[in-house]
Amino acid sequence: MGKHVITMLPGEGTGPEICEAVRRIIDHSGVDIVWEYEDIGLDCLDKYGTLLPEKTIKSIAKNKIAIKGPTTTPIGTGHKSANVTLRKMFDLYANVRPAKLIPVLKRPWDKIDILTFRENTEDSYAAIEHMVSDEVAQCLKVITWPGSVRIAEFAFKWAKANGRKKIQCVHKANIMKMTDGLFLEAFREVAKKYPEIESGDIIVDNCSMQLVRNPAQFDCLVLPNLYGDILSDLCAGLVGGLGFAPGANIGDNCSIFEAVHGSAPKYAGMKKVNPSAVLLSGVMMLRWLNENAAAEKIEKGMNKVLAEAKTLTYDAGGTASTDQYADAIIRAMDTV
Amino acid sequence: MLTKATTGRAKRPAKPITLVGVDVYIITEDGIPMFDDYGAFKIEFVSNRGTKVWPGYVSDDLMMVNWYRCRFMATRTVTDADVDTFMTTLSKKWKWSAAQKLWNYGDEAGFSKAY
Repeated sequence: MGKHVITMLPGEGTGPEICEAVRRIIDHSGVDIVWEYEDIGLDCLDKYGTLLPEKTIKSIAKNKIAIKGPTTTPIGTGHKSANVTLRKMFDLYANVRPAKLIPVLKRPWDKIDILTFRENTEDSYAAIEHMVSDEVAQCLKVITWPGSVRIAEFAFKWAKANGRKKIQCVHKANIMKMTDGLFLEAFREVAKKYPEIESGDIIVDNCSMQLVRNPAQFDCLVLPNLYGDILSDLCAGLVGGLGFAPGANIGDNCSIFEAVHGSAPKYAGMKKVNPSAVLLSGVMMLRWLNENAAAEKIEKGMNKVLAEAKTLTYDAGGTASTDQYADAIIRAMDTV
Repeated sequence: MLTKATTGRAKRPAKPITLVGVDVYIITEDGIPMFDDYGAFKIEFVSNRGTKVWPGYVSDDLMMVNWYRCRFMATRTVTDADVDTFMTTLSKKWKWSAAQKLWNYGDEAGFSKAY
């Protein structure tokens, strides 16, 4: 039995080929992992009649840690999102997404290093929607005091542990005085316990504009679910798109690491998609497991490949396949 | 008589509306509420902050607040009067903050499922 037993959820579309590349790279780092492969996503429907089979749930519940490839969420009607179901089922209340500049991708800014902490279980994602007349739809935005306190606590603890200097609460409390007002009040209450970290708040629309105009001014952002969903994608766009955007969904006893992007079904089987976002999610996972040396080795290997710019996937301006890119990182890991 | 407020605006094509249940939002500090048999309405699920907590799997560390959405589905054809009777009975035992009738519009449910 390995030191870590981790549930691997390859997902669908390009997910399996990406996850296989990522597994090879992580295994090459020398960290002792036993992978438990489980199914998730649209491909499960025929086999199990659900996007999230019971066997998968049991594996995650047992191992308390998983890495996940992309899955597709049907729009409008149909099945519930497997992602949201997992977050709710395992109470993965903190969605952590770093946005850092990638060397090979030329961007108009010198510095971006933003961490978003998105509350992951409440807000308009509580799935409480009704057609209250034949012409009026209503969605309840649920914000709770304990839910708001714990995401703020999580963000301040993470910031303190990782030497971050400043946290801002993003809200629209000038209009949504009850819901966003409660979220902001909880943030301010928690901030009092961390005087060493600068804290403040910013209205979400102004934050969006400021992120585009001058992203270097931001450090850590704490957001309710919907604003967090939108602005973390905006931050990913600032640093080069979803191909390099990792994410972690963390609860008190279980964590699932996953890329932000979708399953890109039109590229499935072509082995051309960039695996960096899932790989960087894996790096976050290794750090969460205190496997810092392995995490650093992978990160340095990837950065070397990106800096050399000889073996890049199409989205980064190259022609390399997923596997060629992974092989280049594996070779680079032996030299850094 | 129609007023200006209801004329001259976009109209969605109408579909037949059928009452099929009630979502009741119950406040309790005593954990997941369990319900008696109410005849015309039967409990289908209980959710907390949008996460289904009954029936089925619930994570040991799921954080719950004192506010539960309880979905009751009709066991037969029902009317608004049945809802009134049901809510009167329910109120004898439970404190509730709101109730929302559940309607089908044509063949489509006009309400979301719980996660």
